[in-house]
Amino acid sequence: MFQKIYKFLSSAKLALALLILILACCVFGVTVFRGQEAWEVIFSAVWFNGILVILIVNISFCFFPRVLRRRLTVVSFGMILFHLSFLGMLFGIVYNSFFFFHGTIRLTEGEVLPIGSLASWDITNRGRYFDLSKLKGEISLMKMHRGYVVEGEDKVVAYEVAIGHRGDTKQGVLYITNKLSAFGFDYYRDKEGFSPLVMLHDKRGRRLHGFFIPLQSLQNKWDESFLYTTGTKEGPGTLPFPQDPLVPEFSLQVIYIPDPEKERAGDAVFRMWPLGPENRSDIDFNHSKDGREATGDNDTNKQEGLDETDEDKPIFEGRVMIGEKFPAGKYYLSVPEIRYWVAMSVRHDPGFVLVLTSLWVGLSGMVITFIGRMRRSKKKS
Amino acid sequence: MKPDLMLFWIAVSLYGLSAFAYLFGMMAKNDKLFTVGLWSAVAGFIPHIVVIALRWSETGISPFFTISESITFGFFCTILIFLIFKFTNKKIRPLGVLIMPVTFIMMGWAGTLYKEAAESIAPALQSGWIWAHIIGAATGFGAVLTAAGFGLMYLLKDKYTFQIFERLPELKIIDDLSYRFVAGGFIMYGLMIVSGAFWSHQVKGNYWAWDPVEVWSLISWLTYGIYLHLRITMGWRGKRLAWYAIIAMVAMIVSYWGIPFTMETFHSGFRIEH
Repeated sequence: MFQKIYKFLSSAKLALALLILILACCVFGVTVFRGQEAWEVIFSAVWFNGILVILIVNISFCFFPRVLRRRLTVVSFGMILFHLSFLGMLFGIVYNSFFFFHGTIRLTEGEVLPIGSLASWDITNRGRYFDLSKLKGEISLMKMHRGYVVEGEDKVVAYEVAIGHRGDTKQGVLYITNKLSAFGFDYYRDKEGFSPLVMLHDKRGRRLHGFFIPLQSLQNKWDESFLYTTGTKEGPGTLPFPQDPLVPEFSLQVIYIPDPEKERAGDAVFRMWPLGPENRSDIDFNHSKDGREATGDNDTNKQEGLDETDEDKPIFEGRVMIGEKFPAGKYYLSVPEIRYWVAMSVRHDPGFVLVLTSLWVGLSGMVITFIGRMRRSKKKS
Repeated sequence: MKPDLMLFWIAVSLYGLSAFAYLFGMMAKNDKLFTVGLWSAVAGFIPHIVVIALRWSETGISPFFTISESITFGFFCTILIFLIFKFTNKKIRPLGVLIMPVTFIMMGWAGTLYKEAAESIAPALQSGWIWAHIIGAATGFGAVLTAAGFGLMYLLKDKYTFQIFERLPELKIIDDLSYRFVAGGFIMYGLMIVSGAFWSHQVKGNYWAWDPVEVWSLISWLTYGIYLHLRITMGWRGKRLAWYAIIAMVAMIVSYWGIPFTMETFHSGFRIEH
């Protein structure tokens, strides 16, 4: 029985059949199924990953016992390295799957978040044996730079970040080709957006409450322009305002219209509805596009009551410059400051060293085998 | 018309002349037309180099990112490999019968997609890995296209007894040359995949995401991996592998230029930036 299993697993024909099967799966994964569907149906499926594992087991059973019995030559040495690299990759991937941590953390300029608190993270995904105590210290976003240039190359955006733990602080600038490594984790640039400070004032102009609202950057599919608004990545929306610790009184949509000439300047559009049971997320994208449908300045701001027959109509709607106040019933609203928020992808992949090293080992194996074969055929001729 | 575009079309025209000279040479069984084909290819290669140099010097940005630039560089490497081989091994005169028509068609397609040189480079492309990635991809393609050319030579010599084919080296030698170029292409594809994995790790922190372009590059690599497996462990030789090399080459063209630039992938993002 065992001999039969061994014979089956060590067959060169099995290796070929597996290679053809993987090739066929890949072709299906880019033709019949595509993108996310291919990922779900094929590439993340247990059976497909099982085939990959069987291939590596087959390589071990089929190749190594044969080659190790032979005299070591340049060709066989290259072949050993090449096939060994697959084993290295498998071990690296399996090890990593137990101990990895992937997360997305989002901060506004000036904000400090405790890394160890899972509430600080938008998304986390970790291996079964990842030790949560490795997440320690605090992270702060000092500044997001636009038009960041390194040795004459425009990196477009860069995040200036500080990560501290027990008095030890690691500070650095990260951009798309430059990660920041600190305390066992790598921080990568992911995405960024505007985060206006929305301030609530009473009628005498006193500041009652204020907080930074991260805006979505939604691209208009028609003219590829961007709308910076409250909402979700699916579309514009509102949020209850004012927020904790005050009692929300209405639903608010904020749109920021950047000044093309001056950074962190421009206009803010406010749209307010009575507080509903749920936040609005079905606002017509094109209606609110760049706020042009809203009135232009303070004097002409609409301050109408809600039309009972048209619940979608905002009770207050208006556009003001950054720093100016917008009258909204018994309150004023303003955006005194524009900051940026950034989302960073944070990774801890202890198995990657083995995987990436194996890639080079495999490539070296291919080159050595090629050289060996060329030398051998030269000798023959 | 800008000088670089004019030179581009001169190169395409000369490659066209070379392609027809090779094809007619084969149909008419006339060796002299192969000589015309070879020297037209040399003549076309000169403006081909100048076009790349002009675009590069215009903005200082390496011109390898748009589909047109990618094809231009891919076939620059192909013609370079072809010419080096032709001038070091004069026995296989009709080798251009497959290489030059493919070059002519693909370069002509690149000409219709020709755009102004980019003035800026997307930040994700500002990485040293891109050099290994592009060189691996372009030389790998050049090598497997040459291997397919040998495959065609094998089939022609095997089937016909005309003098022009009889002058070709023995079938075993052609078969061996095809194998060597496949093995070389396999290594260069390996370099492309490994450098792409390191590049992805530098930018995103992962090395493989089953992105359609990654999968297509794996398909290319596996296709030639199976070729080598069939030859080394299953003992395949000759006709079957010659056909295999020709059919696999078609898959390469789809993989390189059919998919990355027509689908929204990580790679196509680079194209949109420009």
